[in-house]
Amino acid sequence: MSTQNIDPAASGARNKDMSDKGNKPKDTHSVSKRLQQELMSLMMSGETGVSAFPDGDNLFKWVGTLQGAEGTVYEGLKYKLTLDFPSSYPYTAPVVKFDTPIFHPNVDTNGNICLDILKEEWSALYTVKTILISIRSLLGEPNNNSPLNTHAAELWENQVAYKKLLLEKYKKDVTDKESS
Amino acid sequence: MATEAAPPSNKTWELSLYELQRTPQEAITDNTEIAVSPRSLHSELMCPICLDMLKNTMTTKECLHRFCQECIITALRSGNKECPTCRKKLVSKRSLRHDPNFDALISKIYPSRDEYEAHQERVLAKLNKHHNPAALTTSIEEGLRLQAMNRAQRVRKQVNEDPRVEGSTSGEIQPRKRVAREHSHDSNPDNVSVEDEGGAGSTTGSETGTVELVAPPVSEIELVFKPHPMDEIEDIAAYTRYIKTTANASVDHLAKYLYMRLALERQAREPGTSTEDSGDKNYTIYISPTPGSHVLLSGALTLEQVNEKYWKVNKPLEMFYSSKKPLQNTPSTGSPNEKRPKEKEKDMEEV
Repeated sequence: MSTQNIDPAASGARNKDMSDKGNKPKDTHSVSKRLQQELMSLMMSGETGVSAFPDGDNLFKWVGTLQGAEGTVYEGLKYKLTLDFPSSYPYTAPVVKFDTPIFHPNVDTNGNICLDILKEEWSALYTVKTILISIRSLLGEPNNNSPLNTHAAELWENQVAYKKLLLEKYKKDVTDKESS
Repeated sequence: MATEAAPPSNKTWELSLYELQRTPQEAITDNTEIAVSPRSLHSELMCPICLDMLKNTMTTKECLHRFCQECIITALRSGNKECPTCRKKLVSKRSLRHDPNFDALISKIYPSRDEYEAHQERVLAKLNKHHNPAALTTSIEEGLRLQAMNRAQRVRKQVNEDPRVEGSTSGEIQPRKRVAREHSHDSNPDNVSVEDEGGAGSTTGSETGTVELVAPPVSEIELVFKPHPMDEIEDIAAYTRYIKTTANASVDHLAKYLYMRLALERQAREPGTSTEDSGDKNYTIYISPTPGSHVLLSGALTLEQVNEKYWKVNKPLEMFYSSKKPLQNTPSTGSPNEKRPKEKEKDMEEV
């Protein structure tokens, strides 16, 4: 990690933060217990449009799926995401990324998502389910003031053109790859 | 749940519209019982951070949200100084108070917390059981996918590489070797190879030689290869071989393979001998459609044709070989064994 070009105040704050966390490391048992609780309630809730499941035997890595909400340009499209849980979960947010390429103002080409609740607005109360619901609603209501994909942000105004390009890209990135 | 006790006189409460309007709930003094669903009970008694039952309950003084002591302290240390539930500012631990009443309530409902936790563990274990077969299924699927990918690559690799492989000393026997042969003077498909799955009683240590079809993919055929009972083939040649090869290999290919194989085995046993003087180079091949009868096969027939014509049943072809000339006076057609240049043996690639 580079240490030279960062704001000393910020790095100080971060170090303090980290040492604070070090004071009371949560054992992984409690983390996996919470993840199992989440899995159970997610499986029983039957939330529409979102689903998630641990990726293989590793409980700290999940694969989520979400379907574009009705009435939005993303309707009918399906996206896969990965969720990586740190050992400090749920006190720190999981790393959530789109696995399926997505054309969206707040998602970059690597699938990174710009969403406040995954960063500074994270709260220990958020769960896999609420994260996925939030991301699903972000699809239909992007924050075009701080875009990661400026092209998508500019095009958003014109929903017809946006949808056309979105479907073209989806076909190229997803449908064609699945069929090949 | 609102606090029943009157607020301390020195403090004023900012009540919400709902709190101003609502009428106080009458305390239940008789034996009236009210059913509460387990789910709503659970959500009341649950800590929203660990999603488990509250332990050493702490309640935020202003917004009245409850957490386990451990959970809320960790949350305040690691994150924003606000209530995880409603984001109201929580300056410090002093914004929280212990809630012994609530702890008492929980222990009243669940007198044995251990029992509750044991139950929880059982539920989670059951969930795990559901989880793991699913995980197994996905990993099996993953494995199959990888295998398929691997197979595709292997085929591609073989197509790409020149079938005329670099020479190597054929005397060196390795447990598993790949034999890729090419006979440019042969009008039959060049790139046919044969897989020998090892013969019982082999003395050479060269039990397996893999041979695969280069391209295009064709179905495979299995066969049991035995010495002809009428033929006293001596030494190492006289054992049953189990061979798997492609269905488009011809009887001639098989004869050639046998010749090569035996020559190599002899050489391995007695390094001095050259393949030139390894005895009769011409093997004739028979099939036994019914016990005791042996039908001479024409060299041009493919194994697939042999299978269809003489065998039909769904088990490995049983074929016999003989170093003698055909007993009947019908020489096999297209006998491939012209004088073989010595380099030919170097077409065997050893891996």
